Amino acid sequence: MPLANTPTSVPVEVDEGKCIADKGCTVCVDVCPLDVLRISDLTGKAYMKYDECWYCMPCEADCPTDAVTVNIPYLLR
Amino acid sequence: MVFEPFEEESDFEELAERLDDPDPAIRRVAVLNLADTADPEAITLIARAISDSSPEVRLQAAIALGEFDGLEAAAALCEALQDGDSGVSRAAADSLAEIKDPHAGEPMLALTSHQDPKVREGALLGLKQLRRPDALANGIKAMNDPVPAVRIQAVGVVGYLKAEEALPALIAGCRDDEPEVRRTAVGALAFSKSAHAVEALVNATADDNWTVREIAAEVLGKQDSGTRASELMGLLEDPFWQVRVKAVRSLGKLRVSAAVDKIATQLDETVSNLRKEAAAALGEIADPAALPYLEKLVDDPDPDVRKNVRWALGQIG
Amino acid sequence: MDDLREGLNEVECDLLVIGGGTAGPMAAYRARKKNPNAKVILLEKANVKRSGAISMGMDGLNNAVIPGHSTPEQYTKEITIANDGICDQAAVYKYAQQCYSIIEELDGFGIRFQKDENGEYDVKKVHHMGTYVLPMPNGDTVKKALYRQLRRARVLISNRFMATRLLIGKSGRAAGTIAVNTRTGEFLVIKAKAVIMCMGAAGRLGLPTSGYLYGTYENPTNSGEGYAMAYHAGAKLANLECFQINPLIKDYNGPACAYVAGPFGGYTANSKNERFIECDYWSGQMMQEFYNELQSGNGPVFLKLNHLHKDTADHIEHILHTVERPSRGRFHEQRGTKYSEKMIEMHISEIGFCSGHSASGVFVDEFARTSVAGLYAAGDMASVPHNYMLGAFTNGAIAGEDAIDFAEEVDFDDFDSEAVALERERVLAPTRREDGIPPNQIEYKTRRLVNDYLQPPKVTAKYELCQQRLAEIRDDLENRMVVRDAHELMRSMEVASILDCADMAAFASLYRKESRWGLYHYRSDFPDSNDEEWNCHVMLSKQNGRMTCEKQAVQPYIIPIADDEKDAYYKQRITAQA
Repeated sequence: MPLANTPTSVPVEVDEGKCIADKGCTVCVDVCPLDVLRISDLTGKAYMKYDECWYCMPCEADCPTDAVTVNIPYLLR
Repeated sequence: MVFEPFEEESDFEELAERLDDPDPAIRRVAVLNLADTADPEAITLIARAISDSSPEVRLQAAIALGEFDGLEAAAALCEALQDGDSGVSRAAADSLAEIKDPHAGEPMLALTSHQDPKVREGALLGLKQLRRPDALANGIKAMNDPVPAVRIQAVGVVGYLKAEEALPALIAGCRDDEPEVRRTAVGALAFSKSAHAVEALVNATADDNWTVREIAAEVLGKQDSGTRASELMGLLEDPFWQVRVKAVRSLGKLRVSAAVDKIATQLDETVSNLRKEAAAALGEIADPAALPYLEKLVDDPDPDVRKNVRWALGQIG
Repeated sequence: MDDLREGLNEVECDLLVIGGGTAGPMAAYRARKKNPNAKVILLEKANVKRSGAISMGMDGLNNAVIPGHSTPEQYTKEITIANDGICDQAAVYKYAQQCYSIIEELDGFGIRFQKDENGEYDVKKVHHMGTYVLPMPNGDTVKKALYRQLRRARVLISNRFMATRLLIGKSGRAAGTIAVNTRTGEFLVIKAKAVIMCMGAAGRLGLPTSGYLYGTYENPTNSGEGYAMAYHAGAKLANLECFQINPLIKDYNGPACAYVAGPFGGYTANSKNERFIECDYWSGQMMQEFYNELQSGNGPVFLKLNHLHKDTADHIEHILHTVERPSRGRFHEQRGTKYSEKMIEMHISEIGFCSGHSASGVFVDEFARTSVAGLYAAGDMASVPHNYMLGAFTNGAIAGEDAIDFAEEVDFDDFDSEAVALERERVLAPTRREDGIPPNQIEYKTRRLVNDYLQPPKVTAKYELCQQRLAEIRDDLENRMVVRDAHELMRSMEVASILDCADMAAFASLYRKESRWGLYHYRSDFPDSNDEEWNCHVMLSKQNGRMTCEKQAVQPYIIPIADDEKDAYYKQRITAQA
């Protein structure tokens, strides 16, 4: 059976203007207990690759430039 | 294929190089990486970033130094405490409060009479945790500081040292113009069993500010001063229930039999928390004189009160 | 990143600690402190900096036994009663005796506990037998402080490696583990003389009512690998039928913590604004009354603070919104709910295994030793009941010190290298398929069935149906699951653990033919408790490849419990309604 790609609105937002992942920062990617954040090959900025979030907030709290916002996933809101 | 399964050893040369990069964001990431090493060798490099031209890098360095300890980190933080950028100095104050090595207090001592009140406040906050006996003089002196926030930290330094010779200063603090200073000073008297301290606590039970009376009621319960039960009983007429709760608790702890009738008046209060504590205190005192009061409350609308009443009845026998 | 790569590496150490959350770092740290020459590896599937149940910190201790405020004897008594008597007291008593020194040690790490103006611990009075609550004003720094200590103690940290199976040596001792990198799929074999498992709760067992797979009460990274790996290694697991179920904010997975609000006058109420349970301290009996009220005409259930002074309600709101689950504030903000204005709707959590809150865990004695030689367990996955965060730290320390002594006495136990090849094949099988069912769908279906059939009240016929359906899913998992990258490979291993845990939950529950621990093990067709036959532990293990249960007697009490104290937790429902 072929696999489909179903869209999902992800809880973690990254302000690309503030993100310094392109300067070597990996803080949010490192601290995520579920390992769902990645740095984009295209933009060099962090983004949420997998919608598997516990909205626990280390990514937001530890971001040195306040670039990360954790929203409550839509299903819970 | 073989790969490295462990966190890599720190390459300080490479980190130092990035610390000199023209791009401030890269310097900032270097500071983050240095903090991650948790290696005391990183302190010197991070301390260098405290005088970086970019406030973001200085801020990151001030935060990072809070993860280390010792004189070198504290000295750099004391420098950052005087930074013109308020974000940097605030972060430095927070980090100073994390220092644990008493030897690191040296540079803080020099700043308790700095011209900037924010610096004085940060230095005293750092000193408080270190409990250095030689900080007592600085603390006592700073209790006369014109800025209330500085005086509050000064009382903190003195209170943590629990020194009998500081009693006159703490007692004077109980008469400070600022309620929060008075509250802190009254709380700091808990360690002393001297008659002067008890006297100051008794005076504080008549303070204008209810938070001061509240802590006085609590601290009197920590003193073995059964003789002061009358003042505690007096607080049961306080207009603030929060004060009465603490007084009830203290009278229970001190097992003041003479207070049974007075405590029982609180059983009619509408605040159920107060009824609950009064029932508990009567149980602690365990005087049969409380029986008729407690029996009236076995059907109290609040289950927590009923539970405490049952417990108290059990204590009395 | 995430592309699958071939790779196999092998390392050796004296002591391997699996899991870098709470108990694990303490175990590794204490082991290195006790034997600075020992090579200690700490394996973590996320990153030790922010992993585990307390990734974001904790607002306080609720089981701190501090001299002058409570005694180890009082504490042991309370935990025994809270567990309906099914409690080997030695481990609880040892925890109670040692936890104060751990508090002091943590304080030295820079994890600060609330102090009064003289710098003494500011313990809060909550209930009568003892006083156990100690707030942590900078509780959000716990993980960072631990990480610093680990680096300084030169513990070898290996992040992003997920252990999949333990290696058992030819003489039956723990010999190490096989692990897979969660970003590359490369394998790591770690040979060890002793192994400590600190792998957390099985928190991804039931499905949250929101339907969001990761909206669980426990950190969803705690998906029960510890339970599954211990099982496959032949260790005994105790009282798995004593599920964890907790009161939650409806839809948001944060604890409702009426016991945090209790000292301020807050409580749990029904829709008529009435209080219906005596004590908001979490116990199975309390959850039973909570459940009954939810199902009754008085439901749903609420956290009631709006009768308090606004300042008090706001203060409680502030505590609950800052540490442990800080996104709670954001949830309420979006809903427009303020604690001071309206009662907050509550619900019950999905089921899980977690000794931290209940008693289900890999069986350990007072030295944290499991039933397999050289294998230890601590924290939420070990059987010491109600041990919470401070229990994880304390029992982790106990495990680290005992295990490092054990490791010094023994040599590596040889294992069959064939086991490594077989395990690699098992793990990689889903990557060899071109198409099939992805792990997330298998997980959703498993957990949906757990909710449909295993959530209490427990009904025998429903449990048996569930076992059949789970067997069908197992067939899919083993023969039809497909994985496309290293991240999915991690998820596929997690869902295998979840399925194992679901099977164990069903099997252990069916074995205990009585009701006990309130809602945690309420069997509609055996509604009463039966002390004559069931005043014992239920031990589950794998014997000759099959799941088996047996009874094990409770050790004689060290601290006696009087007859009239035993049912203290049963008197939960409020009788005289005003």
